[in-house]
Formats: sequence, C-alpha cells, structure tokens
Amino acid sequence: MADNWSFVIAAYGLAAVVLVAYWRFLVRREKELDDASVVRREMRQETGRPEPQAGASRSPSP
Amino acid sequence: MRRLLGGVTLAGLVAGLVMGFGIAPREATQGNVQRIMYLHVPSVWVAYLAFGVVLVASVVYLIRRSDAADQLAHASAEVGVLFTGLTIATGSIWGKPTWGTWWTWDARLTSVSILFVMYLGYLLLRGMIEDRERGARFAAVLGIVAAFNVPLVHFSVYWWRTLHQPPSLMKPGPGTMPAIIIAALLVNFAAFTLLYAYFVTRRARVLGLEAEAEA
Repeated sequence: MADNWSFVIAAYGLAAVVLVAYWRFLVRREKELDDASVVRREMRQETGRPEPQAGASRSPSP
Repeated sequence: MRRLLGGVTLAGLVAGLVMGFGIAPREATQGNVQRIMYLHVPSVWVAYLAFGVVLVASVVYLIRRSDAADQLAHASAEVGVLFTGLTIATGSIWGKPTWGTWWTWDARLTSVSILFVMYLGYLLLRGMIEDRERGARFAAVLGIVAAFNVPLVHFSVYWWRTLHQPPSLMKPGPGTMPAIIIAALLVNFAAFTLLYAYFVTRRARVLGLEAEAEA
C-alpha cells in the first residue's frame, strides 16, 4: 500500500493548528482576566471597599 | 507548578513524535499512513478521560455544590470536546486512504459523533443559562447522562458490525501488536494525558477568574 504521507501530514498539521490555537486562547484569556483583576483590586483599594469572594453572586435556587 | 507541567507536557509530546515517527516501524499492510494512529488513539483516550472526569465532577457538584467541581467539569468537557473533534477529524483523514471514504455511518463513527454533539450541547447549555448556579446544575445532570455514551462508543465495535477495527489497547485478552508499536502508543498516551491535565488546569483557572470578575 502507498505510504500516503500527505494524509499523515494533514492529520498532524491539523492537530498542531487546533491545539496551538486552543493554548493561545487560554493564555490570552488568562492574561486579560489577570490584568482586569489587578485593575479591580487597585480600584477597590482606592475606594476602600472589601474584596468580594469568588462565586459570591451565586444564590441557591429551587 | 503549571510551568513545570507545561514543560513536561511539551517534552512528552516531542518524545511521542520521536517514538511515532523515528522508533516505531513502518506498518506492513497500511504503510506510513498508520502513524496517524499515534495521534488518533491517544486523542480518543483523552476524550474518554475528560468525559469520565466530567461525570465524577458533576456528581461531586450535585452533592456538595462546590464551585471547584463545577469549574473542573466545565473545563474537562471543553477539552473533551476539543479532543473528540480531533479524533473524528484524524479518523476521517485516516479513513480515506485505508477505507476509501472520508466518512461512513458506521456504529463507531456514529456513536462518537453523538458523543461529540452531546458535549457540544453541554457547553451550549452552560452558555445559554444566565443564572450561573442553575446552569451548573442542569449541566451537571447532562454531564452525567452523556457520560453513559462513552462505553457505548468503546464497545460499539463489538456490539454491531462495523468497518472500524476493534480497540488496539483497551480490550480484554492479550495484545496483537508488536511491543515497539505498543511502546510508541503508550508514550503518546502519557503525553496526551499530560496535555489534558495542562489544558484543564489552565481552563479551570480561567473559569475561576471569570467567576471572580462577575462577583
């Protein structure tokens, strides 16, 4: 049977593109949120408001 | 710690490529196109693992209402969908030269497509419901129900007549593959498991930061 290297390259190339794109999405989103978190913390310190707990807005529903 | 996990994952992926392309021999029947197996099979293993974690984390969430369990389930489902998509795409690319078709409504291919759509629905459900707690609760129920599709996918090749070959490793009885091919496959399994852990850790942190931002 022929080796069909083009199919091997297509499969690995596609996987590389998808995985790198997802990794870049995670890195960018995390950086955005980290930066926003620093700004919020500084604003709270300036206004003297306490830090909210993560998930504090969650209220149990029936 | 996360940098260390990232470094080990990268080293594992490089080792997997070396094993798959440099050490493992050319397969006698299919030729070099069989090397897609070192990508396709670990991808479906990660999908199984991810949806298993969704099942456990969803049960924990429903019992304890823990935000961490909810974030773990959400992150794991997203990574599972990513790897299920890769499994379908790489399987299709492998299918064309070996089966002569990109796609066929075979039991394995159909069941894995249903699994993909169910978890895509899980992610859509989470995005659609504005009340975070309610969305998490509904998603947890769907995450548990959808996980029962995993054994259906895995055993579909035994339960129905299919074009797809039986499992290469995760099957009862002795293996039929040469040791070097099994070794290459196991290195890729380890590397992909590390990649799963790395992605889930990062995604769960992003979800935690998003929850913090909304608070």
